[in-house]
Amino acid sequence: VSDQTRRAFVKRSAGAAAGATVLGALLAGEADASTSEPVVAYVHDGKISIMTGEREVTVRDRKLAAQIVRAGGN
Amino acid sequence: MSSHREAPAISKDPVADNTDTYAFVSPDDPDTVTIISNYLPLEAPFGGPNFFEFGDDVRYEIHIDNDADGAPEITYEFEFQTQVRNPDTFLYNTGPIDSIASPNWNRRQFYSVTRVENGHRKVLARGLACPPCNIGPGSTPRYEALAGQATHKIARGHTVFAGQRLEGFYVDLGAVFDLADLRPFQNLHIAAMAATHGVNATHDFGVHSIALKIPKHELTRNGSTPTDPMSATSVIGVWTAASRRRAVIREAGTGSMHEAGPWVQVSRLGNPLFNEVIVPLGDKDRWNALPAQADAQFLHYVLHPELAALLPVLYPGVFPNLAKLTAPRADLAAILMTGIPAGIVPGFQNFTGTNPADQLRLNMAIPPTRKGPSPLGLIGGDAAGFPNGRRVFDDVVTVELRAIAGATYPLVNKSYTPDAAAALVTDGLGPNATRYLPHFPYLGTPKGGYQTRPLRAA
Repeated sequence: VSDQTRRAFVKRSAGAAAGATVLGALLAGEADASTSEPVVAYVHDGKISIMTGEREVTVRDRKLAAQIVRAGGN
Repeated sequence: MSSHREAPAISKDPVADNTDTYAFVSPDDPDTVTIISNYLPLEAPFGGPNFFEFGDDVRYEIHIDNDADGAPEITYEFEFQTQVRNPDTFLYNTGPIDSIASPNWNRRQFYSVTRVENGHRKVLARGLACPPCNIGPGSTPRYEALAGQATHKIARGHTVFAGQRLEGFYVDLGAVFDLADLRPFQNLHIAAMAATHGVNATHDFGVHSIALKIPKHELTRNGSTPTDPMSATSVIGVWTAASRRRAVIREAGTGSMHEAGPWVQVSRLGNPLFNEVIVPLGDKDRWNALPAQADAQFLHYVLHPELAALLPVLYPGVFPNLAKLTAPRADLAAILMTGIPAGIVPGFQNFTGTNPADQLRLNMAIPPTRKGPSPLGLIGGDAAGFPNGRRVFDDVVTVELRAIAGATYPLVNKSYTPDAAAALVTDGLGPNATRYLPHFPYLGTPKGGYQTRPLRAA
């Protein structure tokens, strides 16, 4: 996944998620680090766990989770 | 072994495999406690060219519970960073390493020590040097002095060492894992053979140790230096662990990887042999991933240990009273999970309440035994040893074998008569004083790779 794609995904998550405030805070802190630190998204049980640095934020968005799963070819 | 390769998952991850934990009042500095946490099991001294080292991607931890709630009030974290001087050679060293700053040492490690107390983080030191492994007389001459340069005095009265040491834990692995045919008693085993001496399987192996000497007043809940063995404030619970990041991404075609997310525990150790022989295979990996305060769910394995049921089967007619003992083993629960309450052993307690947690419980007000310490610790009449914490030379295999065989059950039920064999059973080994140091970091100088013959029987 390219950095562009990764950033786009995370922005989309922030817009869609019930936990957008928390995620937004995470992203604000991450803006400068996006090229040096990876952002890992783990989709499970309709939830998306987003990990960067030593932090993890879980977003509950079944629609977005399903989109990601489909994008993965499933 | 104590906790070497004791669970399926961690046996594949030696850098994070927490193999032994020791906690004792420092014999030569009795206002302090020394805690040693070992990792990387069974280091063959000649295991180059990439000799053993801590993981840069592992966080190593020492936990202390000083208020008997099963959870840590104080945690020490150790994080390592490897530096390669010259990536264009395959050599660990390009000449003799005569000091830990030697330019001939190509692959060095440095580390930080952070103390976390009730959520507040304080970095005690950064950039501390590890010693190299003991390669041989050409590469690491005067190794003992070289390793001595890696003992560091740091903030708040702490002293720390992190690096290779000689394995201090002794055990006849070949016998124990061959259906427990303990060589001194194998004439009584179902696969009877002539009795003989035990063989120390760990004799030549090294291990990586993190040793931390801490003023006692830094460990108590009220900042005091404990003097009353019967006071609850004198007792601390100690366990150690290793954690890895939750996510790892391996970059194809580069050999590099990225980590992300919080730290998650992958290995831990309180009492020796707990996960090894108490917890069954199906729960071992989960046990390693849980904190000590979650151990109530494993209490039934302690109350009804599998090995206690196996001994009468493996040694027919030798343990008749143990075979009939079906009551929950409250003696083992006290030793391993809660500490021993006052009133059981005169003048001694290391009780931390009824919350079951696998911790080494150290009563810091018990002074070190200077003359003739018993490697059998408390059951040998020496209250300064296991299970009052654990010293480097304590014979924990024999102590736990005898306890499981019923020797300690009369502590909670005086009507029980242990089998005669319960006071004798052993794997036939004892401490060899030449393997230990009388001073920090107490574990001995590791064997050199050049000087070690592979798998020489000891």
